[in-house]
Order: sequence, then C-alpha cells, then structure tokens
Amino acid sequence: MIRHTARAIAQYTLVLLGAIVLNFALPRLAPGNPIDFLLPPEQAGILTPMQRQQALSQFGLDQPIPVQFARYLGGLTRGDLLYSVRYGRPVRDLIAERLPWTLLLVGTAIALATLIGTLLGFRSAWRRGTAEDIAYLSLVILADSLPVFFVGMMLILVFAVQLGLFPIYGAVPTTTATGVAFVVAVGKRLTLPLATLTLASIGPIYLVARSALMSELQEDYVLMAEAKGLDRRGVRRHAQRNALLPLWTVALLNLGTLVGGATIVETVFSYPGLGRLIYQSVIARDYPVLQGTFLLLSVSVIAANFIADVAYPLLDPRVRRPVGVSA
Amino acid sequence: MKDMHSVHRPTRRAFLRTAAGAVANLASVGILQACGGVSAPTTAPSRGAAELVTPATPLTPAAPGGANAPTAAVSDAGAAASSSTMVQPAQKLTIAYNAFENNITPFTLTLGSMPNVHDLIMLVYDTLFWSQNDVEPEPWLAEKAEASADRLVWTVTLRSGITWHDGVPLTADDVKFTFEYYQKFAGVSGRYAHHVGDMPPFDRAEVVDPLTVRLFYRAAAPTFMILPGGDLPILPQHIWEKVTEPAKASKDLPVGSGPYKVVEIQPDQLYRLQANDRYFKGRPTVNELVLPIVQDPSAAFASLQTGQVDFVARNVPPELIAQFGRQPSLKMVKGTRLESTQLYFNARKPPLSDTRLRKAISLAVDNQAVLQTVLLGHGRPGRDGFIHPDSPWALPGGGHDFDAARAVQMLDTAGYTQKDTDGIRKTPTGSRLEFSVLVSSFAPQDLRATQLIAQQVSAVGVKLNVEALDPATLRQRRQGPADQIPPYDAYVGNLESHGHVDPDGLYYFFHSPGAKGFGSGIAGYGNARFDQLSEQAAVTLDLTARKGLLHEMQRILADEIPVIVYFYPDGDYAYRPAAYNGWVSDPGHGIFTKRSFLPGYKRAAGMLPTVGLAAAQSPRDDAAE
Repeated sequence: MIRHTARAIAQYTLVLLGAIVLNFALPRLAPGNPIDFLLPPEQAGILTPMQRQQALSQFGLDQPIPVQFARYLGGLTRGDLLYSVRYGRPVRDLIAERLPWTLLLVGTAIALATLIGTLLGFRSAWRRGTAEDIAYLSLVILADSLPVFFVGMMLILVFAVQLGLFPIYGAVPTTTATGVAFVVAVGKRLTLPLATLTLASIGPIYLVARSALMSELQEDYVLMAEAKGLDRRGVRRHAQRNALLPLWTVALLNLGTLVGGATIVETVFSYPGLGRLIYQSVIARDYPVLQGTFLLLSVSVIAANFIADVAYPLLDPRVRRPVGVSA
Repeated sequence: MKDMHSVHRPTRRAFLRTAAGAVANLASVGILQACGGVSAPTTAPSRGAAELVTPATPLTPAAPGGANAPTAAVSDAGAAASSSTMVQPAQKLTIAYNAFENNITPFTLTLGSMPNVHDLIMLVYDTLFWSQNDVEPEPWLAEKAEASADRLVWTVTLRSGITWHDGVPLTADDVKFTFEYYQKFAGVSGRYAHHVGDMPPFDRAEVVDPLTVRLFYRAAAPTFMILPGGDLPILPQHIWEKVTEPAKASKDLPVGSGPYKVVEIQPDQLYRLQANDRYFKGRPTVNELVLPIVQDPSAAFASLQTGQVDFVARNVPPELIAQFGRQPSLKMVKGTRLESTQLYFNARKPPLSDTRLRKAISLAVDNQAVLQTVLLGHGRPGRDGFIHPDSPWALPGGGHDFDAARAVQMLDTAGYTQKDTDGIRKTPTGSRLEFSVLVSSFAPQDLRATQLIAQQVSAVGVKLNVEALDPATLRQRRQGPADQIPPYDAYVGNLESHGHVDPDGLYYFFHSPGAKGFGSGIAGYGNARFDQLSEQAAVTLDLTARKGLLHEMQRILADEIPVIVYFYPDGDYAYRPAAYNGWVSDPGHGIFTKRSFLPGYKRAAGMLPTVGLAAAQSPRDDAAE
C-alpha cells in the first residue's frame, strides 16, 4: 500500500514537472508577443529597439529564454508568479482576486449539475423507455447541444429584459451595499450565469448516471434481489449505490477543471472569474499570467485525479488491494 | 402617418428640453455661486445665458463647417421652458464601460477599451488644452501658451489655484516633470509618448515660476497646443517621481487633477468615480459615476434597455438604432468619435507596389454599397484622401472614385491582361493577382465589409482572400524582420479621432519607411514628394499654409491609394434621459467626454430629432427588425 502510494506520488510529480515546462513553453510558441499590446495596433510596429527593450525589461522578458525559465522556477519556489504584462500587477494577486468568484460560480454550478444530472439520470434509467425518460433525454440533449452563449443570451432576454427579475452583468452590485444586502445582491447577480452554466453542464452527468444505472439494473444481483421478492425501492437502492461509482469519477474530474473558470459564461455576464482572465491573457499573450493560471489548472487537475485514485478503493471494495497479502 | 408623428413629436419635445436646459443651467450656476465659491468657474467673470449654451471657449469661427463646435443646432433656447425636462445635476450615473483599464493611469492602460480609453483617462487627468480635435483648443490647465516667433519655445502659463486630488497644488514643476517622464519612459507610456519624444520633438523644460513653464523644442512646434497640449495627461510629480517601473504601477488609486476622483476599483468589475468638488471648471454635474465593465455588447445594451445602466460607452449597433429610437425611455444622440475602418496595402511588396494596381482595386470598390449593407447606412463612405471629413485637416470635397470600367481599363493598360482559367488576372510574369487581406477575427463588421469588397473586386479580375486572425497573430504577420519588406499583402484596421485630427497624422501613417513616422509599421508606402510635404507641414507656422500642404498630401493619397477607407461609422449613442440629460456631443469624443459632466457646455438633447428622422426614413432599418 505504501509502495503503491509512493509510486503514485512519484508519477504525479513527474506529470507536474512536465506541466510546468509546457505551461512555460506553450504561450511562447503562439505567434505574437505581449509587448505589442502596450500600444494601439497602429503604433505597435514603431517602437524603437531601445523602447522595446525598456518595455520588455520591466517584465524580465528581455532575458534569454533559459534565464526566463530559471526566474519562473525560482519564483515558483517562493510562491511568486511574476508580473502580468497587461495588468502590471503580480499574477498571484490577479488570481487571488478572481479565484473566489470562479469557485462560487463554477463550484456551485458543478455541484448543482451533478445533483440534478444524477437525479434525472437515475429517474430516466428507472423508467427507461417511457415517455418521461424520452422527455428528459431529449431536453437534456437539447440543453447540452445549444451553444452556451446562446443559452445565456436567451436567459438574459427572458429573465432580465422581459421579466426584469435579475441583473445582467457583473458579480458585485454597483451600489456600496454591505452585509445582508450585499449578499442578496451577489446572489441575484449569480443567478443567471449559474443557471446557464448548470444547464450547460448537466448533459454528460445525466448520460453517465442514466447508463450507469441502466447497466446496474441488468446485473445478476438485481435479478436475484427481485427473485427474492425485494420491493422495488429496495432494488433501486442497491442498484443506485453501485451506479454512483462512475459518477464519483466524473464529478471529481469536473472539479479538477473548476479553476479554469467558465470563459464564455463569464464573458457573456461580465463575471470576473479566472476564465475571463485566461481568455484575455491569451489574446494579449500575457505570458506570466498564462504560466500562472495554467499551472493552477494543472495542479488542480492532477490533484483531482490523485484524490479520485486514492479514494476509489475506499468507495469500491472490489478494487481494494488485498492488504493482508502484500504486507 | 405614423412616421410623421414620430418625427414631429421629438422635435418639439427636444426644443422644450433644450430651452429648459438653459434655464436649469442658469439655475445651477446660481446655486453654485450662492454656495459660497465652492468651485466658482474661474474663466469668466459673468456667465450669461449666451455662454451657457455655447462652449465656454472662444471657438474659432474658422473651424470648417462648424464641425468642431461641441454640438450643433438649437441655440434659440432662451425663451420657453418647462420644468419637466431641465438639465439636472444627477446624483449617480451608471455607465457600461467596455473593458478594464487597470487603475486608469497613462502607463498602466490595457488599451482594451479603445476607442474610449482616452476619455476615461481624461475624467481623472487633465491636459493643458482641450481638446486635440480643435484647431484652437480651449485653454484647460493652461491659461495660455505663448510661442517664440520660430515656435521653438513655448511658454505655458498655468491657471492658479489648481490642486491634485490629494490637495497638493499643481504647479509648473508638474508640467516639466510630466514631459521629462514621458520622454524617459517612451517605451511604456502607451499611445502618449510619441508626441513628446518624436513629433513635435521635445528637448527640455524649464520652470520660470510656479505657474510658468518654458518648453524647448528641437524643431518648430506650431501645433503644440493641439498635440501634445490637447492630448498629454499631466502627471503629479509627487506621485510619479517615486515610480521607477511605471508599467507596474497599477496597484494604487490614481491621483489626477481631473473632474473625477477614482474612489473604488474592483478589478474586471467596476470603477467608482466621485466628483472633484474643487474642480477648476466648476463642480461636475454628476456626483458619482459608476462604470461597471460590461464586455459583451449585447449584454451592455440589454442592460440599458432594462435600466441597469444609464448609458453604454459604445456605438449603438446599426441593427438596434431604429428600435432604440422608438423606445420612450431611451434617447438617441448623434456624435462622432471620428472613427474609420480601412484596408492598408503593403505598398512595398510587388505587385502591390504598382500604384496603378492599387488604384484599380480602389476604383472597383463601391463603398456606398458596403456602407449600406454593413452599417445600414449609419456612417459616411470612405474617402480616398483618408482623413475623416470632420477633421479640421480634411481636404474639402474629397470623396471616393468608384468606376469599375475605369478599373478594368487601368489594369489592361498596366499590363495585367493575361487571365487565369477562373478569370483572375496575372502579372506579365505570370503570377496571379491574388492577395490575402488580414482581418481581426474580433471585428465581425470589418470581416463582412472586407468580404463584400472582395466580391466587388473580383469582378475586375483581382482576388482578395479574407483571412480572419486573432489580433496578436495579425500584429505579428504585419511585422517583418528588420529592414525587410514584411510578407503580408494587406490588412484591415480601425482608427479613432486621434489618428484623424493629429496634424501630424498623415506624417505618422504614410511617411516612407525608415526612421521617421510609423511608415514601415503601417503600409510601407513611400513617396518622396509626400515625405517632403509632411515634414514641411509639421514645421509650417502659418495655419492656412499648413492646411494647404495637408490637402495636397491627401490628394497624393487619393491618387496613389496606399489605403482604402471603407467607411467612417457614425457615433450613435443611446442613454436614459431620466437618469441624466446633460450629455454633450463633443466632436472626436462622442458624448462620453469630460465636457458631458461639466457645467457650461451646450447639451446634446437638441440633436435628437435628426437621429429620429434618419431612422424613420431609412427603409433598411425596417428590414432589419
């Protein structure tokens, strides 16, 4: 067991190192560079070599690539993610400002989508082939296939423009409200982006839940339970517990991508999350921000995988290693 | 009949509103003065009705076609008044702003909010004069500026009693420091530095006394008052002298001298600006400006419709103009930011280095049709002389030659007679007249326009392939290795007023590649006569003579076509009059301008009926609904 864990940790460390190198290299492979964005496009080509040097040197981008990489690694050991070219501020601060909003929006959406998707999926599987199943299936697939920005705009049109129920943009109120009023305002502003993102995320979870329960229901033990005369609720309880296993994996992998934010929803609703930061930094070729945010994303995906790996045996006795034998 | 109705009613309403506005302004000035000189404007000893409905500056009557007077029409407003539509100072105004600009200093801009970025800066900072769009700009921080006979030395006298937001007095030292600081940090001061280091070429500054500073130039600077005078944000020395890495200075709230203080910044979310009560031009008419960052245009305009914002700092999309014009809670107003969309040829790369080929392509472009299709007519067709028709430097009467028959004839004469199987012409050496046009994938309007133009041009046997690229890639494709001709054929770009009203704009954009101007970065166009004219214009002291030179340069451009201007989009703005109706239409700025929040300027309300009329008469608007 210990040896297994040690090997897993070694593997994940290797993956992480690979990710660090890639996160440094990928932004630099894209055409263009961050300095051009300090000027309007018409003037971008006219910086004298000296001026360009001056601009680059403020961000350490005038150094040779190996030196830049060493600075990046050195920064990482101190928890320093360097300065954003576009924002002129430490990348760490930029992430810290946006992370809470992303966690609130995307985290809640993943939780809601997992809950709703699972419930609907189980219901569909249980009533397989009925009109109810087909209705759920069609609706979920429809919601899943609509582009996210379109769903967002439709929700804005109906619930904000026509009914006037919710605000359209931003995460915080434009007033200086505090306390309960602030929380209520933040909740109202969260509603539409959350609904959009939830609708967009239900699809895969629903399908996994539906097929997982359907295949469980065809297992011998279900037949056995029915033959023994177990009531329908009892049968369902047994099958559902087993069908939860693949959902656990899906949910954890979703959690891993959480800090990537939700670029489209954040853009449509002007929500200040990490997705928008990443998107804008890609456009502006803001290398330090890309390095920092990609690293965060890599770490959390790796961590989620690690947790899924480690926790799976606890959930499913079948994959547990025979402790007694190896010891 | 319905149309008639909608045309007439706003006219009367607008008249009453303007009339009332004048009275309200009078009243508010009265109140201000009664309050015991909190911020009594220092310009004029007595501010009568006549002054209240005209700009506080003695505007030059010479400004062509009155284009440069803030707002037009409705000055007969003194008579009637109704209390319901007065120009009221407002407590709070919510404006959907289009991108986050860090902490609003000239060195930390992201430039994501073009073309608004300069006007945002100017809510917080001031220039010596205002604005660059006027041939004789209004004295602002400066009371006056006097030049030596050779225009090599400018002596600027500042107004007395001006303080920075933190209470420190603004003095000649700040002005001297500002020029030196931009000079020192030319690489990181964004769009502003080239008017310090390059044109006109600043040499050094000398403080004469606390309110007088003398600026020395290495070449005559006849248009100093316009640029940098009307453009360069003056910085507080006591803040910036400690900053050694200006591009990294985006943590603290900015300190300026402008009408608004920034009191809150929520990154990527909103700015909160508070009126500067001691502002030397009078107390701002809106107490608090809240600028939420709304990136998505559809969301921004939906927010305007629902009243979640009172104004959107963007042009209303052509498809929405008619609909907004009918909405009682909204008002439409026309202004202009002097915007333009154009295609720049790489005039150094054969065969596009052949003037006849470029001219023939231009002749095949029916830009009226493009304007109608893409902007639904809400703009003006491009001119071959490039400069926006509302710029004080525009060649009067210039236009665009559209003549497909002549294009064909010209191509034939130039020797592009062989044709490929698909009808595309070839050069005498056998290469196809097929060119790629780089367009930003973020500019759908530019893409549509370019596709239309490609269609039109294909009729004369030249093929344009539209290539949509992300902005960074586009910028890279435009740049070649140093001293080499970049490999692109053409690209599409947008400009706002700064490019059109800069008296040295033509020099910057079309001077031959080399040490001078932006030449190699823009089009690679080169013409010795043009170079000579542009260098001469920059140091020509006499205004009429300089205009003559600039006009001749535009004629050269029209003949040689280094650039094809598609159109100059109108500035169509929509706001909620219930929240605030004191908007000023400031040419070159639109209505999102500091003048909109200052007492003493003619309000834009009177412009309304024109917009209503245009919308009602355009059949395309109905089709678009």
